[in-house]
Amino acid sequence: MNKLLFLPILIPLAAALGTFFVPHRLRKVRECITLSATAANFLLTLFLFKNDCVYILPWLGPSFEFSLRLYRFSAFIMLAVNGFGFLISLYSVFFMSAKAHLRQFYSYFLITIAFACGAVLSDNLFLMLFFWEGLLLVLFGMIAIGSNHAFKAATKAFIITGIADLCMMIGIALCGYLAGTLTMSKINLPLQGMSVVAFILLMIGAISKAGSMPFHSWIPDAAIASDVPFMALVPAVLEKLLGIYFLTRISLDLFQLNPASWLSVLLMIIGSGTILLAVMMALIQKNYKRLLSYHAISQVGYMILGIGTALPIGIVGGLFHMINNAIYKSALFLTAGSVEKQTGTADLEVLGGLMKKMPVTFVCFAVTAVSISGVPPFNGFFSKELIYEAALSRGLIFYLAAIIGSFFTAASFLKLGHAVFFGGVSEKNKSAQEASWGMLVPMIVLSLFCILFGLFNSVPLAKLIAPVLGQERLHGHSFTVFPLNLKLTIATVIVLVLAFLNHIFGVKMSGSGLHAADHIRRAPLLRGVYDRAERRFFDPYDVGRIFLKRMCAIAFWVDRKIDWLYEGVVAKFIVWLAGVIKRRHTENYSVYLGWALAGLSLVVVFLFYSIKGR
Amino acid sequence: MLSLLIVVPFLSVIIFNLPFFNRGRGFIFWWSLLLFGAQAVLSFFLTIPSYATSFQLPGSMFKFGLMLDGLSILMLLCIGIVASLTLVVAASVHKDQRRKFNFINLLLFAVSGMNAVVLVADIFSLYVFIEITAVASYVLISFEKDLRAMSATFKYIVLSIVASVFMLLSIAILLLITGSTHFMAIHQALPRSEHTFLAMLAVGLFISGLSVKAGLVPFHAWLPDVYSHSSAAVSLFLAGIVSKILGVYALIRVVSFVFMPDASVDMVILSIGLLSIFIAALAALAQSDLKRMLAYSSISQVGYIMLGLGCATPLGMAAAAFHFFNHTIFKSLLFVNAAALELETGTTDMHRMGGLSKTMPVTGFTSVLASLSAAGVPPLAGFWSKLLIVIALWQTGHFAIAFAAILASVLTLSYLLAMQRMVFFGKLRQDLAHTHEAGFGLVLASIVLAFIVVAAGLFFPFILDVFILPVRFFVGG
Repeated sequence: MNKLLFLPILIPLAAALGTFFVPHRLRKVRECITLSATAANFLLTLFLFKNDCVYILPWLGPSFEFSLRLYRFSAFIMLAVNGFGFLISLYSVFFMSAKAHLRQFYSYFLITIAFACGAVLSDNLFLMLFFWEGLLLVLFGMIAIGSNHAFKAATKAFIITGIADLCMMIGIALCGYLAGTLTMSKINLPLQGMSVVAFILLMIGAISKAGSMPFHSWIPDAAIASDVPFMALVPAVLEKLLGIYFLTRISLDLFQLNPASWLSVLLMIIGSGTILLAVMMALIQKNYKRLLSYHAISQVGYMILGIGTALPIGIVGGLFHMINNAIYKSALFLTAGSVEKQTGTADLEVLGGLMKKMPVTFVCFAVTAVSISGVPPFNGFFSKELIYEAALSRGLIFYLAAIIGSFFTAASFLKLGHAVFFGGVSEKNKSAQEASWGMLVPMIVLSLFCILFGLFNSVPLAKLIAPVLGQERLHGHSFTVFPLNLKLTIATVIVLVLAFLNHIFGVKMSGSGLHAADHIRRAPLLRGVYDRAERRFFDPYDVGRIFLKRMCAIAFWVDRKIDWLYEGVVAKFIVWLAGVIKRRHTENYSVYLGWALAGLSLVVVFLFYSIKGR
Repeated sequence: MLSLLIVVPFLSVIIFNLPFFNRGRGFIFWWSLLLFGAQAVLSFFLTIPSYATSFQLPGSMFKFGLMLDGLSILMLLCIGIVASLTLVVAASVHKDQRRKFNFINLLLFAVSGMNAVVLVADIFSLYVFIEITAVASYVLISFEKDLRAMSATFKYIVLSIVASVFMLLSIAILLLITGSTHFMAIHQALPRSEHTFLAMLAVGLFISGLSVKAGLVPFHAWLPDVYSHSSAAVSLFLAGIVSKILGVYALIRVVSFVFMPDASVDMVILSIGLLSIFIAALAALAQSDLKRMLAYSSISQVGYIMLGLGCATPLGMAAAAFHFFNHTIFKSLLFVNAAALELETGTTDMHRMGGLSKTMPVTGFTSVLASLSAAGVPPLAGFWSKLLIVIALWQTGHFAIAFAAILASVLTLSYLLAMQRMVFFGKLRQDLAHTHEAGFGLVLASIVLAFIVVAAGLFFPFILDVFILPVRFFVGG
């Protein structure tokens, strides 16, 4: 049984190789390979789901063995990775049909799934790093093939993720040094001294993978530049799953994060900051995909906040939110893809009135949008409630950040839905019609899951997530019945109603759904911040680039000065000296003879002098 | 056995010049090539230490004997390599049969003398064979019979005679105060001598005399003229081996095996070495004549050998010997390239060359290799020997000198790269479009040498074990 652990990595890799060598004429074969590989992987993970096993192969050396471990947590993540992998590959077959670079797209797609499986399964930190970095490479490739001008966005993603991965690499080295082993299931370090540094470094790796601030800024750029299936799979699902998986692993297993630690507070601050800032940016976006990408960032904030509380209820909420977010965010990106495929644009200024043209897409959008906004009884509501409760017990400020985030989330989705599906149909969208069945099926399945995970929330909570923590860490919490807090629920409902009223107010003020958030955009104080944000004052990448450019200018200036010192002083002196020496060689042998005699006298005098002193 | 190395070349000269041997003269090239090649190969198989039976003329106080140690073997190898290549180059430069024959005769004569220099065991024989070799090289330099070559020869003779006077005086003093001319006897008697002033005078005179032969600053001035005014093959032979054996080898031999260990003597050697490195490197920087520049570069590199010698440690000795070997190889290579360039372009003025690596790719490429090795760029051979020299200096506490030696490498690189740029890189000059690789012999010679440069760098541990480290052991007898 444990040898089968290889297969989830091997199948997609082999299929990736296969797709790469299939000639262009046989497009259908390539699509079949992709679909069957992802389907096989999904069935395989279903089959392996209940197992708990380890498989170890010798690899680079004693502490660098190739060890894979399947247990309840990794099995859960594997199931999600491969489930999404299959649905989105189905979607891609229909969505990507007219695009270029298909060969590369499918290869990268499958390699991404293989490496994601590898990263989740590996029980050795070094092995995990190997897969983790491998993902970075395919990430670059996937963005770069998206469009002609995607190279910049790809480079940006590569650099940002690369820096974070470098931190993680150092963190892993430090962690291995402190623990004396790289085997994840054997590491258990108390959070003190150097291990705090190791934790922070690993945490940077994890949260940057998940796309938290301040490592987020490549995602909105990639959203515009790259293909929708990539966005729906990688930043919306895989990166969240991996990042949050690793964050949970380091806070629960590798290190013992407890509520008393300042690191817990740090995580919560990062989480709430990410929620608020990203959602504020989402609110003012005028592009379907870009708006969604900011939400992809903002939702990570909830997960980090939940896990950062270090309370069982918060961690369970964070993990539940992770899977819920993966479901609805992926589905939302897929709706964006359907709309884009039909109308040829994702620009909200152009879109409008698509409800009648694309009813199924609209319903899917509506279900997933209310889920993300946290409307009961959809899945997003329940995970957010758990996080609210944990956040409130750690401090009112964190709760407020989360609930205000919810307000803006709801507001921005009201605006988005209004702009895309309501209103008049513009000239360009006249010909739009419902998407093909292969694109609808994944959306419908995911939307159904939004409802199912909401109505029967105890199933994922009790069967999938609670076992991750284990009985003793749950402190008697049981999730077979949802622990509903009435006061918090009322507060949530009030906030959602306020968001709705705000939207109506905004529409009245501006006269259109698209500009429903303009009164917030133009609010005093916020206005200045927004203006600067749009000019990318807050993008760490751009700030870093400006900083680097200044540094380069300074370094160049210093270099010129050194060069002047060399050229003007040293080199001139040497050339002068060389000239003097050359001129002394007059080819006159009496002079030469004189030198030889002078040399002899010097040698002899020196030797005499030296023995005289003895 | 050892005496064959001296006798065979000498007898060859005589036999080939016998009146009834006219028909065999055409074979002198192949015979010499066989002889020199055999010497290079043989040096791998000679056992050390070995001695030839020594004999003493009745009623004479001189005892003539031969001995072979690690240093001598290395020298025999270098002589063999450079002599064979000189032969090949000379054969492709001198088309006239008669001139070629005369040239090879002189070459055999010089090789015989040099083999004797590295094998003899007493200072008087050392002096005699140095003079024999020098006479052969006087004729070689004036072989071209033009005015500049003549004047260069004259300069060389004048300074050589001065050096001979120094050395003879020194030998007389040594004989006076130690009663012997044998290396071992002097080595044992000199420290116990009461005449410290006389002993020091003898040491100073000998070092100065040999410095003239080796062309060390400030005794160097004859060398650039001689190298630049003699013909291509001759300058290769002189720069590659003759002045090295006559001057540098003899210095290594007398300073480390004959004279007493003495800190002030070491200081003199180090000062001469450092002075040579810097003055000659700066002078090389200012040259526009290719061969003249290479001549100064030779002086500068010999300075490095002196630094290794001046350390007076086994490692320093080994480093000096290794740099000797490397210098022989890469400087010969540069002179072979210079010969090819002179042959093709008809000039040695670097300002009148340019872009020649287009038409002479082998010459250009091997010359870059040699330059990099000279400047001490890893992993070429020159890097390792310079590294050993610097380590030896560091171990003996000469930190400032070690630093200066590293700094001087920059100068070396700068003048050699300037040469590369002027001669080989850039756009090919219009008037040089007709040039092409110069003859099979020159190309072969440069490829063989370039191969040794690379191989000695890559298989540095092997070279070190087989040839360099045995040098450390003191061999008397």
